[in-house]
Parts: sequence; structure tokens; C-alpha cells
Amino acid sequence: MPRERPIYSDFFYDPLTEDVEELLARFQQSDSIRYEYFSAAWRQMGFSDVFIGIVSMAEQKRFSRVTLATAVKYFLPPYSYQIRVGGLYLMFGLYNTQLAVPPVQIRFALKDWDIIQKFLKDSVNSGHQDVVYIYHKLVAAKAIHFTAMPHFLSFLKLRKRKQKTVCAGFIGRTMAVQELFSADILEEVSNIESQYEKLKENTVAVRCEASMTQRDFTARLKDCMAEFLTWQQKTFSQAEADNKGNGGGGDDDDEEEEEDEDEEERDYKASSSRARLISSIKQKSYSNFQEAPKARRHRQPQKVKVESSSSGSEQHYESGRKRKPASLRARTWKSLGVTKDESRMQVWLLSAPEQNERVPVKRIKQTPPYKE
Amino acid sequence: MAASKNANTNIPDYEYTDVNTDIFHIDSFRTEWLNRLHPGDFSYQPGDQDSSDALFAEEMGISADTMAELKTVCSLDSLRCHPEDQPPDTDVVPPDPTLKTLIQRKKKQDYRDTRKISKNRHDLYADELERLTFGKKSETLDDMVPEGEILLNVNVYYPAIFEKFTHVRPHITVLMMGSHTLAELRDAICCVSDLQVCGEFSNTPDMAPDFISKDHFKSAFFYFEGVFYNDMRYPECQDTSITTIEWAKDRNFPTYTQAKMEDTRFVDLKIKVGFPYLYCHQGDCEHLVIITDVRLTHKDDCLDKKLYPLLTHKHRVSTQKCAVCHVYIVRWVTTNDRFAPSNPCLFCDKCFRMLHYDTEGNKLGEFQAFPYVDRGAFN
Repeated sequence: MPRERPIYSDFFYDPLTEDVEELLARFQQSDSIRYEYFSAAWRQMGFSDVFIGIVSMAEQKRFSRVTLATAVKYFLPPYSYQIRVGGLYLMFGLYNTQLAVPPVQIRFALKDWDIIQKFLKDSVNSGHQDVVYIYHKLVAAKAIHFTAMPHFLSFLKLRKRKQKTVCAGFIGRTMAVQELFSADILEEVSNIESQYEKLKENTVAVRCEASMTQRDFTARLKDCMAEFLTWQQKTFSQAEADNKGNGGGGDDDDEEEEEDEDEEERDYKASSSRARLISSIKQKSYSNFQEAPKARRHRQPQKVKVESSSSGSEQHYESGRKRKPASLRARTWKSLGVTKDESRMQVWLLSAPEQNERVPVKRIKQTPPYKE
Repeated sequence: MAASKNANTNIPDYEYTDVNTDIFHIDSFRTEWLNRLHPGDFSYQPGDQDSSDALFAEEMGISADTMAELKTVCSLDSLRCHPEDQPPDTDVVPPDPTLKTLIQRKKKQDYRDTRKISKNRHDLYADELERLTFGKKSETLDDMVPEGEILLNVNVYYPAIFEKFTHVRPHITVLMMGSHTLAELRDAICCVSDLQVCGEFSNTPDMAPDFISKDHFKSAFFYFEGVFYNDMRYPECQDTSITTIEWAKDRNFPTYTQAKMEDTRFVDLKIKVGFPYLYCHQGDCEHLVIITDVRLTHKDDCLDKKLYPLLTHKHRVSTQKCAVCHVYIVRWVTTNDRFAPSNPCLFCDKCFRMLHYDTEGNKLGEFQAFPYVDRGAFN
């Protein structure tokens, strides 16, 4: 069996991610990007304590690396501007409170640099002084490593491929439709269309046969977009109001297109806020359920069978301790169909007695290694 | 195999997410960073908070009052979760934690307390080498690592010839500068197969240490992205990679090229970060080589050129002990030995000589003795 890798050697650490999301959700609820609100949430949660309780320096360093990588994750897209600001503050907070000596640096990858610069430019342009100031403080403190990649890569496949759950509440609303609405593309399209119609009129042969285009295409597109925008407006103002209540609104990913949104729209119209709260809780618990490793789910029926055939005392013993899959030895035993009476041998017996030639099995007396 | 040279190929991106990157040229990668950065961003001068604050105020056009307010709001005190005069005990998880991380850690700590296991020695010394060189400055300016130099984190894995090694992946980690040649990396890799002594020395045990394999067989090569880099520094070096190249030629493989290890600097290489490559020496001792990280230097790095290549991690292997004293590490292995309890049998130097030679140093009885270098001898 492969040996367990030391703790915190993956890129991210799940409980920490949950903590960070909790902190950012609190920050999001404040509906502000001021640093005061962030630091208030930080102090309220006692967030600098995450570094406490690690004795070994190597572990401390690995953990620092994980925390900073988590912060950088929220600093980069696809998250909304507010969350990214939260990510920046988080980087600042974690870098300055970490207990590793020498401090572990934040890693910026070359491919993310343009995104970071754009973020800064936007912040400067909209006059968010604290955001820019915090960033400058980090740079002045030389807290940044300029690297090729955000993580150390050693050709290790992550053991459990986790579904990448992007915390939906943190993502900014889709701007693409709005951009399309304001851009001149629609005008362009209608121009092309009229040009095309004109050409079609002029060529007698195809005039009647060709009917691929819809004459009112732009108008209809416009209608669709307008409808979507009003829906978005309505939903989000509602969702934001909800956010204050239950802390988790249903924003949409860019990829999830209108079918989903339509469904949600119906949801929103139909249900009262209480029902929505319940459904969100349910959803959460369902998603939690799905995260359980597949293998275990598959094993469940088997386990039931095993338990039902076991004797009473053993069952009692079993329920007390952690469930583990039967060892390879136990499974082999089972498939060989060897029962207890046949094998009263000790582990240290190097050769099997002659009457028992069939399978050279060994066995400890007291604790049965497999569940039967 | 070489990637076409357009503007974006030198900005590394994932080939397989979280596993390895696309191929890129290291020197161009460095240039890309340097073009984007302000020289102050990667200089070794400690950042001066006051002057940078002043500069910031000027850039943003903020008045002194606002600046002062900003400073107090964003001070480090804002992150303090405990009163200043009662800092928490940083070695123990506080009781009743609320953060999920701490709840997990508390569980682990409680569990550890129930078991009487001393600390993991590997963990304890894991960053020892790094700690020693942290922020070390050189004495003369000539030996300083120049600003904006590239640092590479190179993992060299032990050959996977022991079954146990398929699970733990033991390796050494070496920090290299971009200006180093591959030959310098080669010299930094310490492998026991370089130190073996071939031959039977039962008649002349004092002669043994003079003939180590490294001096006999100097050929070696690295393999990176379709190119074999041979070590040709000495006249007795042979081109050991040609066998592979010829073999591949007949079998419809992409063509491989050759270059000299001592003429190739890291910045000249085109590599994938996180991708396994090969180092082969002593004919068939094969190590995986993975470049795990490429980045610009930082002021906290070891800045003394003379200390590079810098060993930052070394796996500790358990050592074989002498069959007689069970104290010292094995230096000799004997076969057909009438004094030994087993065949072959391992001895440390002292026990070996006491058992097999008289006070004059004459050989007693019949046996063959071979020098033995333990894998863990240089932990």
C-alpha cells in the first residue's frame, strides 16, 4: 500500500479552503471592499490562529505555502471583483501572520501577471486606495516570488481528483450579454443582413428558394437580451437580499447558459424565501454527499452483506471502530473459502504441516484479520 | 520536437493541469519577466516602507492626512487576533477551535498525544539545509548572485530499483542558477554507485579506497526534450547515449540529437516544468530528473554564488549495520567466509579487521572481501 504523503503537501487543503470561504463570505456580506471590513471579519474569526499548533518547521512551511496558494486562488479570476479584493487582503494577512521562518513567499506565475496588472489598473482607476496600498505594501515587503507556475510541479497526479468546486456565490455576474448589448455588433449584424437581402433580391435565381435567414433576426436577438437583462437584474437584487439572510445566493457560471437560468427563474418566482432557504440547505447536503469517494459508495451494499452474515459479538465490535475495507489477505482467504477450523496455524510457522498441504495458510488465533 | 518560436510559447502554461507545463525556453522566460517588472521588484535592497509609502501617495495623488489614515487602517495591528501582551502559545492548538483547519489539527494533535511516538526525524530535519543558507550574503560583491537571475529547483530521484522506492519517491533537491551548466548539476548529484569500489581486496584491505567508480567510468548523460547531453570533459569519457540513439533510429522513433553537457547552461534549455527527464551514469544507473520550479531570485535566497549548486533536501535512507557490533555502518561484505554467520555477510571496518586479520595484518583463513558503500552512508 502506498505510504501516506505528509500533511499539507497537496496544493490545497480542504478544511482551510472552507475556512477561507467562510471568511470571504463574511467579507462579501459587508457589501464593501474596504479593508476595515475585511480586518474586522479576520479578527472576528481569529484567522491568524490557523498557523497555531504546528510544531515542525517543515510542516509549518508546507502549510504556509498552502495558505498563500489558497489566497492567490481567490485573487485571480473567475471570482468577482469584491472576492478578488478579499483574496488580496487575505494574501496580505496570511503573509504577515505566518509563523514560518524565513517567511514563505507568495507565488505569482507569469501567465497570471497581465491579469494582476489589469486588476491593479482597474483599482487605481476607480480610486480604491486601500486595495492599491495593500498591494504596494506586499511588493515593498518583497513578499512575492516571480515564478513560472503557481505551484511546485513534480509530475504527481493528485490522488483523488476532486471536482473543482468553484464557490458560486463568489463569481461575478455574467457581463457578456451586457457587453454585447452595448457593443456595435448588433448594428453591424443588421447592416450585413440588409446588404445580404439586397444581394438576394438582385439575383433572380435564388430569390425564392433561399430562405435561411430570418429578417427580424436582430430585433429578436435584442428582445432576448433585454429579457435576460431584466431577469438578471431582478434575480440578483433578490439574491443579494437573500445573501444577507442565508449567506449563499445562486449566481451562475459563465458556461451555465440560459436553460439553467430559466429554471432558477421559475424557482424564484414560485417559492417563498423560506422554501428557498430549505432547498439551498438541501442542495448543500446533497453536494456534500456526492463528495464521498466513489469507491466507498460502491462498497456499501457489500458491507451490508458482510455484516449480516457476521456473528453478534463481532458485529458489535465492528461498529465501534472505523470501517476499513478488508485487507488483501482477508479477501484472498475469503475467496479461497477457508474457514476458521481448518487453519489453526501461527504466523511464524514457516512451513505448513503435511495434513494441510492444500493451501499454506497461516493464522493468528485471537483477532480475525477479516470480517466474516 | 522544438516548439515553434512565437511570442507566447515562452509564457509557460499547463500541458496537463497541475502536473506539468508546456515546453518553454528558460532564458526567454526570464526576459519575459524582466520586461514586465520594475527593477525594484526583484532587487535585493530591503523594501523601505516609508519611502515606498511616500511614492505611493505621490502616484495616487493622496493628501498626507488620507495617507496617515490609510496607514493606520492597513497596519499590521489590524490582523492581530489576541491582545498584544498575551500572545498565544504557538505550539499547541487552542482548546475549542472554531476554524475547520484547527478542528482537524486538534484531532490530529490529540491522536498524536495518545501515542508515544517521537517526532518524525525526516520532518525535523527536512528544511535544515535550507535554514542554514537562508539570506546568506557573500563576502565579496563578485560572488553575489546577480539580481534577476533564474533559480531552478531540480529534484533528482534515486533509481527505483528497490521495491520500497516505488512508494516513497526519495530524492535530493538541488537549487541551481540559470547560469550553471549541466555538468555542474552532474557534479552535485551524489549517488552511491559513483562511490562503489570494484574488486576483491581480502589480501590488501588498505588499498581499497583508492579505486572508486567515479574515477574509472566518467561517462554520463542527461536527457532533456529530445536531446542527449553527454559529459565529455575528460578524454576517457565515452558517448554512452549513442546506443540509445541508434536503437531508436531503427525503430521509427523521433530523431534524437546530442550536445555537450559542459557547454549547456540551464538558460539555454527548453524544458517542461514538472516533466520527468533522465540522468544516467555508470552505464546503467538511471535517475529521474524533474525541474519542479523556475523563478527569479529573491532577497531571502542564498545569495552566495559559491554555495551553489545548493542542496536543499536529501532523503534519509536507513543504513545497514555491521553484523558483529550492530553499531557502525557497513564497510565490507564477505563471501565464502568461515568466520561469518551468513553468506554474504556485512561488517564494519573495525570488526572486519579484528575478525579476519592478526595483529600483523595477515589474512586469516579463506574468504573474499569486497568493499561496500552503504546507501545511507552520507545522510
